[in-house]
Amino acid sequence: MAKGTALQQAEIERLVERAKRGDQHAFGRLVEEYKDKIYSYVSRMLGDPYEAEDVTQEAFLRAYRSLPRFRGAASFHTWLYRIASNLAIDVVRRRRRSDNVSYSLDEPLETDDGEYDREIADDTRGPEEASGTRETQVAVRRAIMDLPGKLRDVMVLYELQGETYEDIAQILAVPLGTVKSRLFNARNQLKERLKSLVAAGEIEVEQ
Amino acid sequence: MMCRQVRQELIACWGSTDELEAAAVEHLRVCEACRIEAALLRETRVLLHSLPAEHAPSGLTKRVVARIADEQQPAGWWSRLAAWFVPEGSPAWARATAVGVAIALAAVGGTVLYHGTTSPGPDQAIIATTVAGGAQLAIGQQEIEDLMVRHQTLELTQPLADDPGVHLVMYTSY
Repeated sequence: MAKGTALQQAEIERLVERAKRGDQHAFGRLVEEYKDKIYSYVSRMLGDPYEAEDVTQEAFLRAYRSLPRFRGAASFHTWLYRIASNLAIDVVRRRRRSDNVSYSLDEPLETDDGEYDREIADDTRGPEEASGTRETQVAVRRAIMDLPGKLRDVMVLYELQGETYEDIAQILAVPLGTVKSRLFNARNQLKERLKSLVAAGEIEVEQ
Repeated sequence: MMCRQVRQELIACWGSTDELEAAAVEHLRVCEACRIEAALLRETRVLLHSLPAEHAPSGLTKRVVARIADEQQPAGWWSRLAAWFVPEGSPAWARATAVGVAIALAAVGGTVLYHGTTSPGPDQAIIATTVAGGAQLAIGQQEIEDLMVRHQTLELTQPLADDPGVHLVMYTSY
């Protein structure tokens, strides 16, 4: 069985062949099969559910358009991940560029619908967010997002998505040794980040 | 065993002592700092794996399939013509310009071709056939005079494919 999917591998291959011939229903079944995997991966990479939804949709559309060129050298799910990974990296790069653009907080925000005052998110926690579990999850998510992109990619794929070293190497087009060393560094950096949260009393560690 | 070596092994196995070498386990027994590291790694793993599963928003499959169906709608003649000249997804003004230029070029090219390589019309064909390869022997003086009149009329209205002077010489020398 294909990892993490309900459909048998042979059935997936049949659906891929049908989708290649333009069968939209077959492709719809493939989307249904992989949407959660791709969405959760992209969401964990970007930390933004709205962007994650857009990127997931775009990944499936690109996959459909590129299907005639899919020769099956990699598994379909690996190929799909690779498309999603490239799109997610593009979003991260765009963010980095836009982060470099400075603006005055007093300037109104120009949109197609007119001008609006800029609103700044309130990071102080409300009483409803003070519960330990939620707070801890937010802290862990933030710690993952703080990892450098290349380390975050491997961490998410291996630890959260359950992909193998070999599949990750194919998805990211890097050697197996690189996957292992990135994972090692990712674990170490994540541990260091959580250590600072422990020191700040935000997370408790049982010895 | 040194703390550095032990910590590297701990990272590789997420702080689990089950997979450690006996020397590393022995080190942990006497080194509190490394025990804390091991506990931190174990906790990091627990926290990581306690994150709730994330599910795609409902309706995502429908939206993807709808967009695919939309993209696969048969394109109108306008879009198909534009696709020859500009890449898919180009702005509407670029597609409109491309189609306009294509139509203008086709009109100019058609006119040039028509005037440059026009094949003989029915009347011209009669003359050409008549003067070709000895067939002229079969027609009389009156017919030649008629042909010459027709030839001159044709010459005034549209140029002939062959040099009309050649035909005139042939007619008069008969």
